[in-house]
Amino acid sequence: MLDIRRGENGEIVLSGRFDASQAEQAERFLEAATGQVVLDFKDLQYISSLGLGTLVKTQKRLQAVGGGIRLVNVSPHIRDILQFSGLHFLFPIDAPPPK
Amino acid sequence: MAGSDASSASRRFRRSVDALGEIFEFIEGFFAGAPVSPDCLHDVCFVVEELFMNQVKYAAGNPNSLLLELRRSDGRLAVSLTDFDADPFDVRSVPDPRIDLPIEERRPGGLGIYLSKKLVDGIDYEYVDRRSTTTFTKALR
Repeated sequence: MLDIRRGENGEIVLSGRFDASQAEQAERFLEAATGQVVLDFKDLQYISSLGLGTLVKTQKRLQAVGGGIRLVNVSPHIRDILQFSGLHFLFPIDAPPPK
Repeated sequence: MAGSDASSASRRFRRSVDALGEIFEFIEGFFAGAPVSPDCLHDVCFVVEELFMNQVKYAAGNPNSLLLELRRSDGRLAVSLTDFDADPFDVRSVPDPRIDLPIEERRPGGLGIYLSKKLVDGIDYEYVDRRSTTTFTKALR
C-alpha cells in the first residue's frame, strides 16, 4: 500500500509501495500540487515504472509553469532506479545525509 | 494450484492490477525462510510487476490467469511468468528507450522493460503451443 500525504512543512510524504495499483491514487494527489514541490521518499520502499511515469508527468506539468519537483531522502535502491532510467537528470535529488 | 518447498514455489494469479498485492506477498513469503537484501527483493518485485502488468495491459481480453514460478538454488533465483493461450511477446526484442531526452520530450511509460533488463542477470523467452514464458535469472545477495 502507498500512503501519500502532506507533511508538517508542506512537503509531500510518500510511504510504502508505489506500484501500479497505487498510481491512480498518487496521480490524483499530485495533480493538486503546484509551484515548487518537495517529495519526501524517506519511507518509500519501492517504486515501479508506472510510479516513475507519474513523477515524470507531474514534473512536466509543474516545470511548464515555472515549478518543479525536488526529491529528498531517496534510498540507494530508488536512487539506482532513477539513475538507470536517466531520471536523475530531470529531478533534483538532495544528497543523502552524511553518515 | 499453489505448491512450494525450500527451493521452489508456484502460483497462478488473476490477470488484474489488483493481484499485485498478492504477488508481492507471495514473493516475500518465498524469501521469508532465507531472507535476501531489501534491494534484491525490490529488484525481483520490480521485474515481476513489469512482466505481469504487460500481460494485464496488452492482453486484457485473455481470461486465463498467469503462472508465476520461483526457483532458488546455489545463490541464484530463476523466475518464470507464463501466460496461456497468448500471443507471443519477447521482451528481449523491445528496443531501449531514449533515456537522455529532455523532459519536454519524455513520455510516460517505456521504461519498465528497459529497467527490468538492467536489474537482472539474464532474460530468456519461450513460446510453445501458445504458452508464452518469460524467465529471468538473478544472483541473490
